[in-house]
Amino acid sequence: MSALVVGIGNPSRGDDAVGPLVAERVARLGLVGVEVVTHDEPLALVEHLAGRDDVVVVDAVRSSGGRPGTVHVIRVGPAPLHRDPVALGSHGLGVVDAVELARALGRLPRRLTLVGVEAEGVEVGAAVSDLVRDRLEDAVRAVVESLRERVDR
Amino acid sequence: MTHKGVGEGRELTAETLARVEGEGAMRVVVHDGLVTDVQLRIYEPPRFFEAMLRGRGHTEPPDLTSRICGICPVAYEMSACHAIEDACGVDIPEDIALMRRLLYCGEWIESHTLHVYLLHAPDFLGYPGAIEMATDHPDVVERGLRLKQAGNALMTLVGGRAVHPVNVKVGGFYRFPTRAELGALRPRLQGALDDALATVTMASGFEFPDFEQDHEYVSLRTDHDYPIEAGSFVTSSGHAFGVDAFGDWVAEEHVAHSNALHARLRDAGPYVVGPLARYTLNHDRLPPTARQAADAAGLGATCRNPFRSIVVRAVEIVVACEEALRIIDDWSDGPATDAAPAVEVPARAGTGHGATEAPRGTLYQRYELAADGTVVSAQIVPPTSQNQASIESDLRGFVQARLHLDTEELTRQCEQAIRNYDPCISCATHFLDLTVDEA
Repeated sequence: MSALVVGIGNPSRGDDAVGPLVAERVARLGLVGVEVVTHDEPLALVEHLAGRDDVVVVDAVRSSGGRPGTVHVIRVGPAPLHRDPVALGSHGLGVVDAVELARALGRLPRRLTLVGVEAEGVEVGAAVSDLVRDRLEDAVRAVVESLRERVDR
Repeated sequence: MTHKGVGEGRELTAETLARVEGEGAMRVVVHDGLVTDVQLRIYEPPRFFEAMLRGRGHTEPPDLTSRICGICPVAYEMSACHAIEDACGVDIPEDIALMRRLLYCGEWIESHTLHVYLLHAPDFLGYPGAIEMATDHPDVVERGLRLKQAGNALMTLVGGRAVHPVNVKVGGFYRFPTRAELGALRPRLQGALDDALATVTMASGFEFPDFEQDHEYVSLRTDHDYPIEAGSFVTSSGHAFGVDAFGDWVAEEHVAHSNALHARLRDAGPYVVGPLARYTLNHDRLPPTARQAADAAGLGATCRNPFRSIVVRAVEIVVACEEALRIIDDWSDGPATDAAPAVEVPARAGTGHGATEAPRGTLYQRYELAADGTVVSAQIVPPTSQNQASIESDLRGFVQARLHLDTEELTRQCEQAIRNYDPCISCATHFLDLTVDEA
């Protein structure tokens, strides 16, 4: 029973901050048995995933035509994730790469959920957009529901 | 990547460069069998941080600049600290300098390992990326991750966090790790040293294209040690100058295709900073184990082939592990941990300069302070913007000699040539998409 919530993103880059912001809100809920960390380097995920029962990763995403603030919940199953630039990490390896690298190394947790929040802008120095800020609680709820499903099973 | 067939020329384009840090693009134009244009385009908002720093207090730049890059935050913090302390006329005691070097070793281990194993090795082993490589060579990738985690552990102990260390401040640290804490890390770093030596062996076994380049090299150098957290400038053409003279020696200029400023050395033009420059200008400063490893890898006293930078990076991981172990051992033998972890840095009007060796090359910062410590102006010159002109020059020759290749293979090889420099696009406030346009 080791659950982990990982918020990925750079707090100084507009909506890229959504991962850490959601993670911090989840941490304030003080859920029993749930550890919360934030990271702005997606690759750190590989180190966090191994040996866990349940991991929820929160990150900013961009999909074609998606409305900023939209919350996507993706259950990582046996099929590889698309490695399109879904995750917005500003670095060479994004969240999807980290997940697939963990899979190649046999390090995936039993259950892995990605909660992606559609970003509007990720300019360096920008604030979080209103559209994303308005949906932060929805993302928190998505994280909590994902964790609850585990408990209820 | 797009392939365009226009007239008799070719245009190679890669709009998104894979496996480089940050975001950017490259465009190479070939016309009538001649490479007519090579451009690295840099998208990151330039100079944002320099503007943001104006009006801030003199204790703020280390924290603020560490946000520029998730890969080399320590480099930003350390160069900022040096520059502010220089402006305020404060000297840093030896134990604080040593602890800074130790923290910096953690960043070198992390950053170099990330680049060697997950970004660059797939090129040499014939994989499109680290994931595909991990399927066939899990032991190799596991070793890389283990090394990187040793760097994380060092960063977390000394810096307080693995990314964006929070324990650093102008004047030193909020707290020193205890001798017991440092000692507890020793076995892990000893293991990391073994992994680092295995990394040198692995990298030296790769095949490298013949691509010796006559670049001007610029690096820091110190009286005793391999340059990491301190030093003054030397160049391969024999010049030497203090950090405070950087602005006299280096001119930054705007080029139309890039948001980053290109840096040029007075009288010498484009130059290169980073592992190859450091190694070539400081071979006599390598600690013993790293030197042996370099010899065994057949590196010699100089290295002028950018493709061999992966070997030099591996040697520098050895340097970082070896130096970290030395510092930890020295620390436990002395009374240093009883000393204050920071000195006072009272504000005064003045200008200060700081330069340190980020994993990918020298990072310079300059601050002008008002009497109350308010930042009047800030200048940040990251390694990638200094290397940009030389990367373009490499590509020009590289593509010209490989025009017989099909566009896909040529683009792939160009990306590899760019990765030789481990360019940090987000730091180059400054950086990278690959477009090899063959028009």
